[in-house]
Amino acid sequence: MNLPQQVKVGDELPELPIPITARQIVAGAIASQDFEDVHHDKAAANQKGTPDIFMNILTTNGLVGRYLSDWAGPTVRIRRISLKLGAPNYPGDTMVMSGQVTAVQDNELEIAFKGKNGLGNHVTGTGYLTLEESA
Amino acid sequence: MNLPAVAIVGLGATEFSKNSGRSEMQLACEAAHAAVQDSGLTGSDIDGMATFSMDNNWEIEIHRQIGGQELRFFARTEFGGGGALGPFAHAVSAIQTGQCQAAIIYRAMNERSGLRFGSGEIMNMNTLNPDMIHFSHYFPTGFMTPAAWIAMCTRRYMHKYGATSEDFGRIAVSMRDFAASNPAAFFYQQPLTLEQHQQSKLIADPLRLFDCCQESDGAVAFVVTSLERARDLPNTPVEIASVRQCAVPASRQITPFYHADIAHFPEFDALSCDLFRRADTAPNELDFACLYDHFTPAILPQLEAFGFCAPGEAADFVKDGHISRGGKLPVNTNGGQLGEAYIHGLNGIAEVVRQMRGTSANQLERSDQALVTAGAGVPTGAAILRKQA
Amino acid sequence: MNTALSDLEQAIEPLRKRYIGQRVGPYLAWNKVSRTQIWQWCAAMGDTHPEYLGGETAIAPPTMLQSWTFRDVHGDYAPGSTDQNTYEVLGKLDELGYFGSVAVSYDQQYLEYLHEGDHVHSFSTISDISALKNTALGTGCFVTELAEYFRQDKTLIGTATITYLKYQPNQTSTGAPPSSPRKIERIRPVENTDSQHYWQGLRDGKLLIQQCSDCDVSRHPPQPMCEACQSINWHTVESTRRGKIYSFTSIHHPEIPPFDSPNCIVLVDLDEGVRIAAQITGVKYDELKIGMPVRANIVEVQKGLSLPIFEVEQ
Repeated sequence: MNLPQQVKVGDELPELPIPITARQIVAGAIASQDFEDVHHDKAAANQKGTPDIFMNILTTNGLVGRYLSDWAGPTVRIRRISLKLGAPNYPGDTMVMSGQVTAVQDNELEIAFKGKNGLGNHVTGTGYLTLEESA
Repeated sequence: MNLPAVAIVGLGATEFSKNSGRSEMQLACEAAHAAVQDSGLTGSDIDGMATFSMDNNWEIEIHRQIGGQELRFFARTEFGGGGALGPFAHAVSAIQTGQCQAAIIYRAMNERSGLRFGSGEIMNMNTLNPDMIHFSHYFPTGFMTPAAWIAMCTRRYMHKYGATSEDFGRIAVSMRDFAASNPAAFFYQQPLTLEQHQQSKLIADPLRLFDCCQESDGAVAFVVTSLERARDLPNTPVEIASVRQCAVPASRQITPFYHADIAHFPEFDALSCDLFRRADTAPNELDFACLYDHFTPAILPQLEAFGFCAPGEAADFVKDGHISRGGKLPVNTNGGQLGEAYIHGLNGIAEVVRQMRGTSANQLERSDQALVTAGAGVPTGAAILRKQA
Repeated sequence: MNTALSDLEQAIEPLRKRYIGQRVGPYLAWNKVSRTQIWQWCAAMGDTHPEYLGGETAIAPPTMLQSWTFRDVHGDYAPGSTDQNTYEVLGKLDELGYFGSVAVSYDQQYLEYLHEGDHVHSFSTISDISALKNTALGTGCFVTELAEYFRQDKTLIGTATITYLKYQPNQTSTGAPPSSPRKIERIRPVENTDSQHYWQGLRDGKLLIQQCSDCDVSRHPPQPMCEACQSINWHTVESTRRGKIYSFTSIHHPEIPPFDSPNCIVLVDLDEGVRIAAQITGVKYDELKIGMPVRANIVEVQKGLSLPIFEVEQ
């Protein structure tokens, strides 16, 4: 668990490799109620010009949330996530999450994060967290 | 040996953009045709062609389309932007020796909308050509952009003389000031502050975004012929008073890492004296200069190599305003490749021609004699151009 | 902008007038926030944060925000939702040929966490349709949607700004569908008769420096003739891989896959008297200094490709 007073700008979050499988992509799409065919139907994805099904943005967002809150511990509140998508997450790849603390004010933190796969950066962005005092 | 003098008599250019929307060949044809029309000659008068090895347009294709008849001289120069003055050296020699009468020098590139040199994808292929054999020692490590290569020299310059990123910023500010009043410049009406420069993102430490020239589409072409013939043509002749190319033993193709001291560009140091001697002039007799500015720090060792200031004093020379508007040696009055466009150095040479004709957007009071340079950090060249009555 | 783009722009302008700024809704959630749906989300994301399912009342991960009021698997909105389709503009862009669609950015603010039993509804506004741009995927425009999410008591619990790129996919001459995605690897060196020994040496775990057999001058990178005495006789010596940083840079932009960013590169004057360019790891880019003692490890960075990678010598 991280206490606000222990966190400082420049601290790095431990890397987290996430295997990208068809199962992960489909499970994320369904859990996020996203039934667009490019997230579960390879033939349909091919027709739209991509080589395989690929992860939807909500799953990416969910994985980012998991990465940030796992690091920050049980007292975290995620206030905002702002992200940009780059290289798609296709089955068979691995996305490695990394992050760094870029601002600390009182109990509010700003984290620059990145998820990199074999094609480049899948996601880059900033997470804004509040660490509540534990009860 | 008293060789006949050679002059630039025609200038043509396309617009500079981020997406020309047409082929490099069309750009080359448009610029070359405009240069011929500007010169007062016709396509059938052109019997020589010279360009860069990196240009993707064969000489014969352009020559045929601009109405050329027999092509008697064609030549190319290697080493990227270091080749900007080689074509002039070739054309001058060919005209002086009677191999041809009038030559076109051209460069056309869709460097922004096509293959971007700074993308890390430059020559991404796997063949046994000399480029790949050479770059094999850099590409596999990700050391594969011109900014990163030149940053190594910049770091040593900083280490040797204490120059700072702000010193480079002042160069960018000066160029962007000229660009802001040049309607042909990409950064027309967009001056830059030192603060904006300092806040711009790191590209290859210590180079920041605004230390880097732009990525551009466009073409520039010139017509050169003997000064004797030039006097019968409509434009003020711009004499190529001297032109020199140079490489030294440790020179490499844009990976200048093996000189004993990489803070300087030894190619310029080596050719400087001879260049002035052949033109029978001296640094303090020049009115302005167009120096190759792929990256801002490259200006500093050039100011020193050509004797405008002593080694290590270029940052102060810039700080004192000498290269800026109203300074004693205005540099890159078109805004340079940082502010106008990056056409591999040819647009800087075009600016010298305009200044001498009195048609620059930032016209100087006195613009009779100027220095122009080709790429820095590569085997390169330089020339002194002189206005003729 | 070139003329071709400005002509196409004219077809898009009416869409801007019609759709930008129009707030539509409400869109109702099919179901109240439930432990089951939270469990499914957490399972799919591998999220084991104790707050969500650990207590008596389940709490929804805030990142679930947008999923609550999505259409169901048949494309239908929950009963009580407006009939207006906020995505109608995307269909209009499809008709104009910009049928490619990809979400490019996402900005969510979470004001309140949702608890089991909460019932969400949302409103949506198209806030921007950009000028046409040439992108890597094709020509198209960016459409930005602002969605606002409310609890049953009308409290605003979060907002989401989503930007989609609607584009006309680039035509390829073959028209064939793309094959499997290609993992981006380092560019492999070209090995010819002058340099093969060097690359093979690295595969064997050795950094080999060429040395003239006649005048003993060392050289790097490899070349066939000694520039000091013009001899073509040479042999190699194994480098101690120790030296000092002569110059350095760190490459921040563009990020070039598969390399980490920043990618720190050093020129090292090796103890053998030659200079070599290589990566350095294990040190922050702003801690590099000229003169630092360094030592290289030979690392197999890719199958069949080994490189010297330096680290600072303690």
